[in-house]
Amino acid sequence: MRSEKIEGSTIRPRLATEALPIRILLILVTLIFLGLFLGLPLAAVFTQAFAAGSGPYFAALKDPNTVSAIKLTLLTAAVSVPLNVLFGLAAAWAIAKFEFWGKNLLLTLIDLPFAVSPVIAGMIFVLLLGKFSPLGGWLDAHQIKIIFAVPGIILATTFVTFPFVARELLPVMQAQGVEEEQAALVLGATGWQSFWRVTLPNIKWGLIYGVILCNARAMGEFGAVSVVSGKIMGQTNTLPLQVEAFNDDYNFVGAFAAASLLALLGLVTLVIKSFVEWRTARHEQ
Amino acid sequence: MSIEIRGVSRNFGEFAALKDVNLLVETGELVALLGPSGSGKTTLLRIIAGLEYPTAGTILFHGEDTIRRDARSRQVGFVFQHYALFRHMTVFENIAFGLRVRPRALRPSKADIEARVMELLKLVQLEGLAQRFPSQLSGGQRQRVALARALAVEPKVLLLDEPFGALDARVRQELRSWLRRLHDELHITSVFVTHDQEEALEVADRVVVMNKGQIEQVGSPEDVYENPANPFVMNFLGSVNLFHARIHDGEAHIGPSSVPVTAAQDASTIGYVRPHELDILRQHNGEPTIEAVIKHIHAVGPTVRIELARRDNGELMEAELTRERFADLALKAGEEVHVKARKLQVFTEDYSI
Repeated sequence: MRSEKIEGSTIRPRLATEALPIRILLILVTLIFLGLFLGLPLAAVFTQAFAAGSGPYFAALKDPNTVSAIKLTLLTAAVSVPLNVLFGLAAAWAIAKFEFWGKNLLLTLIDLPFAVSPVIAGMIFVLLLGKFSPLGGWLDAHQIKIIFAVPGIILATTFVTFPFVARELLPVMQAQGVEEEQAALVLGATGWQSFWRVTLPNIKWGLIYGVILCNARAMGEFGAVSVVSGKIMGQTNTLPLQVEAFNDDYNFVGAFAAASLLALLGLVTLVIKSFVEWRTARHEQ
Repeated sequence: MSIEIRGVSRNFGEFAALKDVNLLVETGELVALLGPSGSGKTTLLRIIAGLEYPTAGTILFHGEDTIRRDARSRQVGFVFQHYALFRHMTVFENIAFGLRVRPRALRPSKADIEARVMELLKLVQLEGLAQRFPSQLSGGQRQRVALARALAVEPKVLLLDEPFGALDARVRQELRSWLRRLHDELHITSVFVTHDQEEALEVADRVVVMNKGQIEQVGSPEDVYENPANPFVMNFLGSVNLFHARIHDGEAHIGPSSVPVTAAQDASTIGYVRPHELDILRQHNGEPTIEAVIKHIHAVGPTVRIELARRDNGELMEAELTRERFADLALKAGEEVHVKARKLQVFTEDYSI
């Protein structure tokens, strides 16, 4: 009887050495903080969006300006995310698998968009390609519109989001080294075969993770895009800009309806992210 | 297929990993590259495989210069030290990889690939593990998968980098004799790298002893062990006792005792004696001997190791006796005994270890 009890009870390893009251206090502080700064605003977005019922909510979503903003946001993400996947793969590959001069500089440069305020990133493009710059003048003379048009928005978004994929892939690729690729090479695989059959399956989850984060940021980017977009309703407003526009018009249902889409995107991102993390953890075991 | 290494040098910046190395590996031979870490043995193996390029010199396969051919087209089988199995593929897929990536015209049919993989799994005694992933295998099993994967493409040359380095002692011993038997069966020209002298001496047909990017000696295991070319080889191939000796009239004198040697000149030199070449006597039998005191006795294993201190200068020596001899003598720590060297090696060239 007694031995059964000992066998049955699984003794948990004690992770925390702190006393019980301190543990409870720490957990409470964390929960309250999370609730105040995350839970409450998130709940507010949805209550405000549905404040006048679901009729006005869906009406706001069907507003031509909102529809146009959704389309533009999707287009921006659809262009900048694949671009950054290509760039991220190339950069992570180069840094993880080769030795070359200026490698550290490249590593620092990849992080630049994280270090620079997005507004400044937007400003850089305006200064570089705006009407009064030499390059902008040439573009203007040839009727190519970049600033205050869709290409500028895509450009700014791509700039702001380019560290995500590279940063996620780098540690994965560095940890894996080059031996598997060398094994593939000795076994007669071409570089292309080695990439598709060996490298890509190994970095798959890291890549997906990077893409999700990159996509979330691309769709939610405000600062850089607001500088280059010109904010023309129905033309160059992305979803975050549209939220601001509605808000400035005192159209709170519209603002919160549009905001709820972005919040939903955030939630979906979190779910996929947790799933990928769970997969990776299981994979590593 | 024979492998000829001609004047190969490799520099990594200022560091010379290989200095003008020349070696001929005959068809069907099993050769060990033996040396301490940093001796350049792995670099040499990778140059043969085409994974690394020499700064100077060339490699010939069967008399044909292959230095311009990349690793992909050299048709070598390479077993990596940490196996480098494709972790997301099953054992089956790992072994089939080399066949699957062939150009369509040369690729075997699905059924042929399957038959070939099954045949290899049988060869490496891993039938029934085809659907496992590398992470589900033990070290020894992974090693054999790596070998089967390398053999799948029917390489002309098999190269193994520290093949037993990451395994525990028991598995190591088993795999060693297994590899030897496998080689006798397949007769594929093979080169393996190791820092373990026992491994090299036991498995290889010929041993290439390397040090600081150069070859110190090439020979059969018996040859390099019995007739080391220099103190480095002598010392690297097993423990050894050093004695200050005077050579006079073809005899080396250590203290009062003397051993016949084949040195030409009379000189003061250092004599090297393997522990098993030292005999211990209880009684003085008339011959001049070295008097010593027993310090420690290690009686674990097939032989008994005895640590002794010389009476005249206190220098330590190690002797190795068979169990029978040890039992006959009934030695105990602290006892005074007489030591005699049966064989002593001297090197005329000045050399420091």
